[in-house]
Parts: sequence; structure tokens; C-alpha cells
Amino acid sequence: MERTGEARLIVEVKGLGKSFGAHKVLDGVDFSMRAGEVVAVIGPSGSGKSTLLRCLNQLEQHDEGLIQICGIGMQAGLPVPRKDMNDLRRSAGMVFQSFNLFPHMTVLRNISLPQERVLGRSRAQADERSRALLERVGLAGKADQYPARCSGGQQQRIAIARALALDPRIMLFDEPTSALDPEIGLEVLAVMQELAEAGMSMIVVTHEMHFAETVSDRVILMAEGRILEEGPSAEVMRRPKTARAQQFLHAVLNR
Amino acid sequence: MTPENALLIAGGIWWTIIVTLGAFGLGAALGVPICAMHVSRSRALHVVAVVLIVILRSVPPIVWIFILYFGIGSGWLSIGPVPAAIVALGVITAANMAEIYRGALKSIHPGQWDASHALGLSTWSEFRDVMAPQIFRVTLPSATTYLIGLLKDSAIASTIGVMEITYLAGFLASKQFGASLQIFAFAGALYILISLPLAAVARIADARLRMKVAQ
Amino acid sequence: MNATLSFWAESLPSLISGMVVSLEVTAAALAIGVPLGLVAALLVQSTVRPLRWVTLAVVEIGRGAPALILLQLAYYGLPYSGLQLSSMGSAIAALSWTTCAYTSEIIRAGLQAVPRGQSEAAMTLGLSRLDALRFVIVPQGMRVAAPALLGFAILMLQASSLCFAIALPELLSKAQLIGTMTFRYMEILLLAALLYAAICIPATLLVAAIERRLGKHAA
Ligand SMILES: Nc1ncnc2c1ncn2[C@@H]1O[C@H](COP(=O)(O)OP(=O)(O)OP(=O)(O)O)[C@@H](O)[C@H]1O
Ligand SMILES: [Mg+2]
Repeated sequence: MERTGEARLIVEVKGLGKSFGAHKVLDGVDFSMRAGEVVAVIGPSGSGKSTLLRCLNQLEQHDEGLIQICGIGMQAGLPVPRKDMNDLRRSAGMVFQSFNLFPHMTVLRNISLPQERVLGRSRAQADERSRALLERVGLAGKADQYPARCSGGQQQRIAIARALALDPRIMLFDEPTSALDPEIGLEVLAVMQELAEAGMSMIVVTHEMHFAETVSDRVILMAEGRILEEGPSAEVMRRPKTARAQQFLHAVLNR
Repeated sequence: MTPENALLIAGGIWWTIIVTLGAFGLGAALGVPICAMHVSRSRALHVVAVVLIVILRSVPPIVWIFILYFGIGSGWLSIGPVPAAIVALGVITAANMAEIYRGALKSIHPGQWDASHALGLSTWSEFRDVMAPQIFRVTLPSATTYLIGLLKDSAIASTIGVMEITYLAGFLASKQFGASLQIFAFAGALYILISLPLAAVARIADARLRMKVAQ
Repeated sequence: MNATLSFWAESLPSLISGMVVSLEVTAAALAIGVPLGLVAALLVQSTVRPLRWVTLAVVEIGRGAPALILLQLAYYGLPYSGLQLSSMGSAIAALSWTTCAYTSEIIRAGLQAVPRGQSEAAMTLGLSRLDALRFVIVPQGMRVAAPALLGFAILMLQASSLCFAIALPELLSKAQLIGTMTFRYMEILLLAALLYAAICIPATLLVAAIERRLGKHAA
């Protein structure tokens, strides 16, 4: 199946379509991405950005087209074998706008539990890795607290650590800073930037135009369920070709 | 289950309904003054209402029925089983309805709702035209749900000899040991059958209310 | 007055022994019924239709039929289908059924109150469905359900008085027995009522306090 030219493609999407009832939310989306790339997805509200991410890790089942991610192929209409699904969830880490930490577990348990249950690590191994990751996101002191005692920015960094603990090959971010004050969002963006520099493959849905422009290698601009423009960050953001893209960028950049 | 048995047990439906509706009517009416006392400005009245509600709810219904029927009935004044059951279940219902009314008042005047205005100072016509319909609508789902519970509680009237469904089932079962299982199963099914239309009312009323709130 | 007090003092040991039986039957019904209620709450959401329907039937009958009927069904009805239960056994069986039926609804509401994002996070972390339930959804849902479950436990203690009808020597049976022997119904029933209230009132206040505490915690 694997062709040499595409071997390093970590994501490949062809003709992706998704409807909710009569509402076509994604329509003929094509894109691909190499390992190590950082792709920002921008676009107006309701353009299908979250749905795209959710299809990539199968929180939503797509109803048209083909998705290949981390070597797992998923054709619309065909059930994904359990083994592939497990591999997919292990390979793709997801970070949500609303953090979704488990409120009844300490920060450490939040990060260690999935390692124990999914990767079969021992409690000691898992905790060691969790503490190392907390250190990395600057929250070593929070291990034994409950998430409710942490600020939003801290919670999001913990959520990132939790996803990283499973050693994913790609990280998906859905507006990770939208629920945060801009200032607090910066600490999260800093962690993400560091992650990008370390070579992690990342797809980031974001309204942070600065992040999209400076950190990502490539920008995908979506509108009404389609990819409107796609290319190197600077090009898409400074010299958009379509009028719709110009209009959107004008609106968000002059805010 | 022979048709004769079924018919005999079904004959108890009337007493079941009379006890249930009697207790509910009594409770729905008595619940109003108890609720009014609970939300009144007078501290004394408030305390009386709270104590009344707590005591009525903290003793099992069957104990209240026995107190009325065997306790009062054996000493002071003779009271028949049906009135005993209706009064006992009725006063318990009053306590619970008072709480349901209070919840409704709260939801109509969220935040700084003024109880005395809601019940005391407002004119009768304002209450009748403005408040009462709202209270009724908000109360309907929980009151109907309570009525269904009361229907099942009415079964304990059988223990003092009211000839309702459960009593007749027990009577039959004692005559025909071998058929006990079917007899009680049939009696249980009767209760479920009677509560079906009530449950539908509760569901519809609840859905309407939610829609109103959502808007 | 004095006569009543000395009568109460005489009868108290017997009533207390009855109350112990009431508490035992309640505890057993809860210990069996609540876990079954959790299972039922999960099964009614099952995608396997027959499983869902059977569970639904068990729950609807348990909620729809009076506990008094279920008790008599277990005590008088089951022996003729080959299963002879003592009055204690029947009481536990019937009240467990009731408990399972009611608590399954309480628990289901608790599970539904857990935000969708929690199960999505569990899923994206690769936890199996069972693990997601066990470690993420059920612990949070049970916490939401806890006050209502405690409130239900109090109602169950009250419902245990219905076991009077199947000759279980619990609190009300003891009181009624003393009543028939002495004809001092009013006094003995009042004492029984006091004993029920002595447990239920503090328990109710406790539940209300817990509820307030949890409410504050969530805010
Ligand atoms: N589960 C769902 N059921 C029905 N419609 C949905 C569902 N999820 C999303 N939609 C609809 O699909 C469209 C795209 O939603 P999506 O969340 O992907 O947009 P988005 O680009 O992420 O927007 P935002 O910037 O506001 O997050 C919207 O019109 C939304 O209402
Ligand atoms: Mg979105």
C-alpha cells in the first residue's frame, strides 16, 4: 500500500465530506502533511475546522472520502477495525478548547492513568513520565493538586502533558487558547511553540493569527466546509488570493 | 389467571382510585396553607411549617395509617378504614405538595422573589390571573409524578382492610395458594396500567415546560 | 404520662430489636440494589436491543408496581414456582428490586450530567469504553447522584416498614404485636413513629448538608 513518495506523509485526506443531517459541514476537503510539519487551520466560525479535527481522530465518522493518518487508512462507510482505532487513538493526541481534564483525579493521576491503561506502563513508570512532562510544561509543583485548583492556562498545559504522555506521533489542537485570557494563552502557546521546535507534527485550529503566522509552517484557511486557501504561512496570510480569504483576514487582523 | 380472578381483583380499582384521588385532593388543598406558612414573613409560622413537613415526611406512611386507624380509632373516635387511609396519605401528600408549590414559587420568581408579595400582599385577582396559572404549569409535572407515587402508596390501605386492588389480591391468594404468583403479578400490572396515562401527562407537561424554559 | 413512659421503657428493647431488623433489611436491599441499579443504568443505554428491553422491563415493573405487591409476590408467590424464601429473603429480594429500579433512574441522570467532553477526552486518550466508564464517567456520575441516592436510602428505611405484611419481625411488626397484646395501640405506634423519626430526621438533615456542600463545591 505504502508508496515511497508518500511514506513520510503523516496525514493524507482525500475528498473528505461530512454532513450533520442535511447540513454539509465538510465538502471535498483534500490536504496532506509531512511528519514534523506544523499546520494551522484558520477560518470563520462554523466553517468546519473542529469537525475536520474530529474526523481525523474519528470522534466523528466522516461520510465521504479517505483519511490516512499515521499509517491508518479509513474509508468513509467502512467500519474501522478495533485495532486500527486503538492505534489511531494512541498515535494522535488531542487537546480541546475546554481542557477536559478529569476533575475527580489529581493532576498526576490525570496524566498517569491513560499510560497505565493504554500502554500498560506500571504506576511507577507512568508517574515518572508524568512528572517529567509536568516539569516540561512548567507545572512540576501541581502534581498532587486537583484540576479545579489550577488556572485555565495551567489546566491546558496539563492537558497537553496528558496527551504527550502517550507518546503520540501527531498532536491535534482545537482552539487551545480560546477559553483563556490572551495573556494566559501565551503560556500555552509557548509550550506549543517549544513542542513544534522539538519536531512534533501538529495540526492547530486557532484564532491566534500571530501563532499561525510565526509558528506554523503552513496555513489552511477554511470557509463553508471547504479549503479556501492553503500554503506557506506568510503567503496565505499576507497575499491571500480569493476575495473571501481577504475579507476574513482583514476582519481578524484588524481586530 | 382465570377471568373470574381477574375481574375480582380489577373490582378493587375503584377503591384504589378513591383513596388515591381523595388523598391527593386533600393534600393538594392542605399543601397551600402549609406552603404559605413556610414562605410567610412570620418566623413562628415558618418554623411550624418546617417542623410539620419534616415530621410528616420522616415517619413511614403505613405507620401514619396505623396511628389513625388503630391508635385514634381504638381510643378516641371510631374512624373507618377508607377515611383513615385518605386522611393519613392526605396529610403526607400535603407536606410534599407544599414543597412542590414552594419550588414552583421559587422558579417563577428567581432571585429576589418576594414571598409575601407572591402570596400575601398581591390582590386576589392578580394571584388568580397571573400567579396561579404559572404555578399550575410549573407544578404539573412534579405533581403528576407524585400522584403516580401516591397511587402505589395507596396499596398500603390494604393493610387496614380497604378492599382495593392489593387487598383483593391478598384475599384471593390466601384462598388459592397455587395461583399466588399470577395473582400478585396481575395486581402489579394493574397499577402499572393505571399509571400509564398519568405518566404520559407528566412527560408531556415536562416537555412543554422545558420548551418554555429553553426559549 | 408516667404510665406511658414506663410502658415505653418496657417496650423499647423489643422495638429496638425490630429496628435492627429494619436497618438490616434496608442495608441489604441497598447493598444489592444500588450496584444492580448502576448496571441497569448502563444497560438501558446499551446498543444491544434485547438487553435494553429486558432492563427497561425490570426497571419499569420495579418502579411501577407497589413495593407491597412485590413483597407479597416474593413471599407468597415464589414458593409455588419452586423458590421458597424466608420472610427476610423475600424482603431483601423485593426491596432490592425496587431499589435497583429507582436508583437506576437516579444514576442514569447522574451519568448524563457528566459533560460530553469527559468521554471524548477518555476516547481520544485511547481508553476502552469499559475503562472510560470505570475510571472517568461512573465515578463522576455517582458523585452527582450521591445526594439523591442518600435521600433514597432514607425512603428505603421507611419502605422496610411494609415488610410488616410478610411477617418480618421489623419495627412496625413489633409495635403492632405489642399493640394487639396490650391494646395500647396509640402509645406503642407513637413510639415506633418516634424511632423512625429519630433516624430519618437527622439523616435528612445530613443529606441536605451534604447537598449544600456539594453544591458549593461545584460552584
Ligand atoms: N454534532 C453536530 N450536530 C449538528 N451540527 C453540528 C455538529 N457539530 C457541528 N455542527 C455544525 O457544523 C458546522 C461546523 O462546525 P464546526 O464546529 O466544525 O465549526 P468551527 O469551524 O470549528 O467553528 P468555531 O470556530 O466556532 O469553533 C456548524 O454549523 C455547526 O453548527
Ligand atoms: Mg470549533
